[in-house]
Amino acid sequence: MTDRAELLAGIEAATNGEVRARELALLQIDLRLAQHPARNLPFAVPVDPNTFEARPQEVLWLGPDEWLLTRPADGNHDLVAELEAALAGEHHSIVDVSAARAVFELTGPGTIDLLSHGCGIDLHPRSWGEGDCAQTLLARMQVILQQRHDATRVFVRSSFADSLADWLLDAASRP
Amino acid sequence: MTGRRLPSGGRIDRSKPLRFSFGGRELDAFEGDTLASALTANGVDVVCRSPILGRPRGVYSAGVEEPCAFVAVEAPHPDPIVAATMVEVVDGLVARGAPGVGRLTEALPAPRRTEHRYRHVELLVVGSGDDGLSLAEETASGGGRALVVEQEPRLAGAGFAWQPGDVEVLTRATAFGLYEDGYTLVLERSRPVECLWHVRAKQVVLATGAHVRPVAFADNDRPGVMLAGAVRRSVREFGVLPGERAVVFTTNAGAYGDAHALQEAGAEVVAIVDVRPDARLPDDLEGVTLLAGWSVEGTEGDPRIEAALAIGPGGDRRTIACDLLVVSGGFSPALQLWRAIGGGLRYDETLACFLPDGEAPPWLRVVGAAAGDLPSSVPYWYSPAEDYSRHFVDFQRDQTVADVLAAVDGGLRSVEHVKRATYIGTAIDQGRTSAILTAEIVNGRLGWGPGAQGPSSSRPPYTPVPFSALAGPYRGSRLDATRRTPIHGWHVARGAVFENVGQWKRPWYFPRDGESMHDAVSRECLAVRTGVGVMDASTLGKIEVVGPDAGTFLDRMYTNAISTLAVGRIRYGLMLGLDGMAFDDGVVMRLAPDRFLATTTTGGAAKVLDRFEEWLQTEWPDLRVYCTSVTEQWATIAVAGPRAREVLAVAGTDVDLAQESFPFMTFREGTFAGVPARIARVSFSGELAFEINVSGLDGLAAWEAVTAAGEPLGIEPYGTEAMHVLRAEKGFAIVGQETDGTVTPHDLGMSWIVDESKGDFVGRRSLRRADLVRPDRKQLVGLLTVDKKMLPEGAQIVREDTGRIPMPMAGHVTSSYWSPILDRSIALAMVERGRELLGETVYAPLPGGTAAATVTDPVFYDKENARRDG
Repeated sequence: MTDRAELLAGIEAATNGEVRARELALLQIDLRLAQHPARNLPFAVPVDPNTFEARPQEVLWLGPDEWLLTRPADGNHDLVAELEAALAGEHHSIVDVSAARAVFELTGPGTIDLLSHGCGIDLHPRSWGEGDCAQTLLARMQVILQQRHDATRVFVRSSFADSLADWLLDAASRP
Repeated sequence: MTGRRLPSGGRIDRSKPLRFSFGGRELDAFEGDTLASALTANGVDVVCRSPILGRPRGVYSAGVEEPCAFVAVEAPHPDPIVAATMVEVVDGLVARGAPGVGRLTEALPAPRRTEHRYRHVELLVVGSGDDGLSLAEETASGGGRALVVEQEPRLAGAGFAWQPGDVEVLTRATAFGLYEDGYTLVLERSRPVECLWHVRAKQVVLATGAHVRPVAFADNDRPGVMLAGAVRRSVREFGVLPGERAVVFTTNAGAYGDAHALQEAGAEVVAIVDVRPDARLPDDLEGVTLLAGWSVEGTEGDPRIEAALAIGPGGDRRTIACDLLVVSGGFSPALQLWRAIGGGLRYDETLACFLPDGEAPPWLRVVGAAAGDLPSSVPYWYSPAEDYSRHFVDFQRDQTVADVLAAVDGGLRSVEHVKRATYIGTAIDQGRTSAILTAEIVNGRLGWGPGAQGPSSSRPPYTPVPFSALAGPYRGSRLDATRRTPIHGWHVARGAVFENVGQWKRPWYFPRDGESMHDAVSRECLAVRTGVGVMDASTLGKIEVVGPDAGTFLDRMYTNAISTLAVGRIRYGLMLGLDGMAFDDGVVMRLAPDRFLATTTTGGAAKVLDRFEEWLQTEWPDLRVYCTSVTEQWATIAVAGPRAREVLAVAGTDVDLAQESFPFMTFREGTFAGVPARIARVSFSGELAFEINVSGLDGLAAWEAVTAAGEPLGIEPYGTEAMHVLRAEKGFAIVGQETDGTVTPHDLGMSWIVDESKGDFVGRRSLRRADLVRPDRKQLVGLLTVDKKMLPEGAQIVREDTGRIPMPMAGHVTSSYWSPILDRSIALAMVERGRELLGETVYAPLPGGTAAATVTDPVFYDKENARRDG
């Protein structure tokens, strides 16, 4: 297996430009809230299962009391401290998981078709679109899928990231 | 005369001639031919020999029901055995007859590429007849996604003009398994890549059609005997005339169409033998001899048929010269998928066949011929005779009416028992032409009426599925996903030999040029004992446990008290199953009053988190605790050895490393080599050791800082094997190695960790069960062989070598290593009453002779724990 960035870069050629893939560096925080909306939370968390809110950071619904917060890892915000301050006194859990998952961003018209090689959920526009997220398996690895306007993000536990990149390029290379 | 290609007609492409080889002969075909049609066109009568009796067999059908003509394909895509009717001819095809049993080629060819695909649709139609196609089009025109799968290369129905995008069609695609709620598995062979489709359909329509059923009579397997329908398809689809002088033998009007097709193509229909006394010729067959109320009782010819032997209602006999005998005993709807999900069958007297019975689940429908849209037939299964030993029922198993009757006369009544006594229906064709015949022979012999019991049951797969298709892309290096630490690339560059721990790849040892494993492990162990070593421990499971009740919760999960731990301190903890047996272990750090970090074994991370969640969600929802996996958030670097402190100091840290300010079993937050780090004083080797935890993103940089700082000190990276040796020298048990699900903490000599005074915990009650307090339980001890040689792990231990087998077993060896620091072998063992045996000699009877060993304390090295502070 070659370098992960190289594997991801190879997808564009393998799909004749139908899919482009790259890895993102994101700040990721796992948030658990016993009661929501929490009184002092400075932003809304989605209550509809498998959806996400986009502002000011993206908040993905992972469970009835669990969300994943993401934003570009620019180092400008101590989001953990900000949240801890806001939620003081409420039962909650905030855990920085920025290194726990690698994030691949896939763009291009062939993205959903590529994912359908190894993902059992229905990603057809009838049932999947912008604003949706899901925890599922891709190529038998646990992933979170997030459908943004023009891109599909795949969050994978970082120990599996090489394997997933290798699988993606292999799937992209099938005629 | 035998078969020949007609000058015109068929759906083959005559502008595309092909060459192929069969049994060493070079033959011609056209694009669109199957191997069966091409062999018939080339006048090949005998395709293969039958598997048991060695009888010549030719092409009998035109489809998936073929029970006679089996071939082995050598190129381009090897297949050990397949029906000739299911092989498409391509240029360069190489095949030969296969006598019933396939053999894998000696030299394994490069496997065909295979993939998996997932598809969700509103409607799945299995079969492409007009009934199915119209339903698919209806769904598509309403905006729904419709998928049609057809196992043949071309659609069966013709009446629809397809708009791209309306309906997705997969040809050469077999729905081989149907499961609850419309989950369907489809094998598609249309492209260079073989594809296994996982289809989830809201509605499934089975438009699977029906197979023509044979009638059994003497020598009914002779080449030149063919099923009705197949003859028609041979002429109309492939432009191949399978014979010039035909006799048609039928129980129904359906076969008259075959007679008509033969006449059109220029063949002579010598006679139609129809078992129905009231049969009448249709107008378009005027002039053909009709023998109504007659039947065929046998054939003649060698090897191909030269005459059909007919018998009349009064016993009149006629020998009718012919080179083709077309047979139809009625129809058998293809209901294998319907039955595989539990659908019942009912016998229809008018059609003399079995139809779907009872309510279909709301997502499933059966339509068309499969649902009984068929010509009527009379029940006629085999022609009466004195001797039934050449009335073939299952051609591929060489089983006859005589064999079925013998099974019934031997006392069997159920078709399932008859199937297993005769193997009928167990061959590649899965009884498509023989199952109902068998059932009716049984019914008749028992004096039961037709339909009293139906055919034996059907299960997926409907047609053979190669293992390579099931594997899909998941083979070779992709057989299973692998997990790697952030430091993996360094290990590879350093030449590590890896071992699999679950899905993780862990360095096992780091050999230098030409070094044996033994030498490498010894060198790594001695580095830790005498200098310093470094190990990648990132694979350890890590769970953050957060909330005001986190301490209470952990007290209930571990055998010892966790809530009493002070912030900044670390405690080793052991977890038990409900049965009181060791389940997993690790250290727990208290990060804050309401925040703990629990570590697990590498293999135990998922099961420990699952267990935490299960207890929290099902038993103690009142506890305010959240658990989050942070296994990959942290890279963990263990620096161990008397000089470990120097390495950290050189690499640079703001943590005060002095013993007084940073004692054993505490941790400090700070920086290491310029990045944020949590450094812990824990040791799995007994030596002074620091576990440096940094963000996974900083893992490689921190590792490189350690190795650079340690280089002048001779630091050695060490792998899991050295780790095991070092811990065994200290007598530390590993859950899953010393334990096997039947070992309690008391058995391990770890009663000190069971704190019954703190309140309840998982497994506590079980520890008091009578069996768990037996004095003769196996206990963890050390073993030192008298001759210093190694004992094999798993060796059985006996108290006395009586020399007589069997002898009472007293225990077994759980771990065995060469200890470089002790310069001798050491072993851990579970031995009955082991702690009472210290100093005594026990024996391990081995193939090369019995080994004697002294029972010792499991701690072999540094019993006083004098080394852990450096």
